[in-house]
Amino acid sequence: MLYGEDFSPTVVASPSVVVDALSRNELRAIFFMRRRTWPDGTPIQVFVLPDDRPLHQAFCKQILNVYPHQLRRAWDRGVFSGTGQAPIEVETIEEMQEKVASSQGAIGYIGRDHLDASVKAVTVR
Amino acid sequence: MRRFGVGLILWVLANACRAMGQEWLATSQTHGFVSQGFVLTSANRFFGDSEDGSLDFTEAGINLSTRPFGPVLISAQGLFRRSGEVNPKEFRLDYALADYTLWSDVQGRAGIAFGRVKNPYGLYNETRDVAFTRPTIFLPQSIYFDRTRNLGLASDGGQVYGEYTTAWGEWSLRFAVGWPNGIQDKEFERLVVSRNLPGRFKTRLSYLGRLTYESPAGSLRLAITSGQVRPRYDPKGANPFQAGETTLVPVIFSAQYEGEKFTVTGEYALRFVKLRDFGRFLPDRSDTGESYYLQVAYRILPKLELVGRYDVFFADRDDTSGRKFAALTRRPRHTRFARDWTVGVRWDISRSWMVRAEYHRVNGTGWLPVSDNPDPNAREKNWHLFALLLSFRF
Repeated sequence: MLYGEDFSPTVVASPSVVVDALSRNELRAIFFMRRRTWPDGTPIQVFVLPDDRPLHQAFCKQILNVYPHQLRRAWDRGVFSGTGQAPIEVETIEEMQEKVASSQGAIGYIGRDHLDASVKAVTVR
Repeated sequence: MRRFGVGLILWVLANACRAMGQEWLATSQTHGFVSQGFVLTSANRFFGDSEDGSLDFTEAGINLSTRPFGPVLISAQGLFRRSGEVNPKEFRLDYALADYTLWSDVQGRAGIAFGRVKNPYGLYNETRDVAFTRPTIFLPQSIYFDRTRNLGLASDGGQVYGEYTTAWGEWSLRFAVGWPNGIQDKEFERLVVSRNLPGRFKTRLSYLGRLTYESPAGSLRLAITSGQVRPRYDPKGANPFQAGETTLVPVIFSAQYEGEKFTVTGEYALRFVKLRDFGRFLPDRSDTGESYYLQVAYRILPKLELVGRYDVFFADRDDTSGRKFAALTRRPRHTRFARDWTVGVRWDISRSWMVRAEYHRVNGTGWLPVSDNPDPNAREKNWHLFALLLSFRF
């Protein structure tokens, strides 16, 4: 496997996040940057890999059921019209795991084989 | 004393930020872009002296945003632009707003925004100066005029918005009330009274709303936009015109299908324009302008996109050939319509760099900027346009 990446993505959140499961619609709202806070009021921080990474593409198609360019367009529209923000881009799965584990209210995705106790797996209903 | 005042303000701010758990720092972002274009036309001027090849086409912007606490977003963008005689050199505060999501749950969200807010108008208006978000170097001019772009750009006022997700798609509504920017531009005056005279148009409270439907996976988007703008003329000194009133009511129907390789986009617009009480040199008038385009984009490779478009503009849908207008004003017919065939290519060199090239074959001069082409008789009916654009973002 290229770069040792496992292409079956798993949604993960920082351990303090109050949510264990999300519907596909909620997950879409979060990754399209339309949702700002968790139910307890903590700001959501979204982490993604660059558009051309196989794991990002697998996450978009398999979990969100959208194309990466649709997400990119929505982020650009928000950022450059002042109505939204972009997610934080990280370069590697290791960095994703580290950032999600250590940032408050963080959500992202990693390959299934990277899953460990530092992050919380979020079930997608 | 002043130093003490500043120190006190800083101390209060610092404590306020600490009280907010430094969320504003963790959530703050900055983004920006710079684009440089080259325009060459066979006749007529567009974005500078394009008949000899013009580099008079620069766009740059930088923005900041932060979520200081929970549901609040604060953002602002500064813009620099150079585009021929229309915007010789312009710095503007593009937007500066506070957005409060009042309600948010599994089904959607609703909120309000205050400040200088971008106008929800069609598919492309809110980010029209950001080359990465445009389908081509120049937006379809029939609907997104570059000559009066400032008129539609942003308003100082407020907006309410709502988004609601159902099993069969998502509905969203944006409604804006405010004072639109750009009414005072001389280009708008030239368009209405045909020249630059003492006095200006004044802004009045305007309304704009857009309702959007998106299919569940977001591949189909349908929207309808409408609003009302009522600029009032404020003539000064030896101005032969009187304090007339204009009413502009646009209605735009938008549709877009976005697949893995193909994006098909079409928009149809009607513009109801009413002029009243300008005096005997400009009799009361009521025209309906009509515009539409169909555009197909195809991603051959993830980084390479081809685009084709047919774009049509009529200043008056009851006089599409301009015949009646020409008989009345002795001005050329072709200033009342434009048909534009466009082909283009976009190459995303990297995450930050993009180049584009495009060719337009245009029949008609209906949307040419008056500032760049002051003499309507000097315009040519059939003309070609070639453009290149290099753009950087972060």
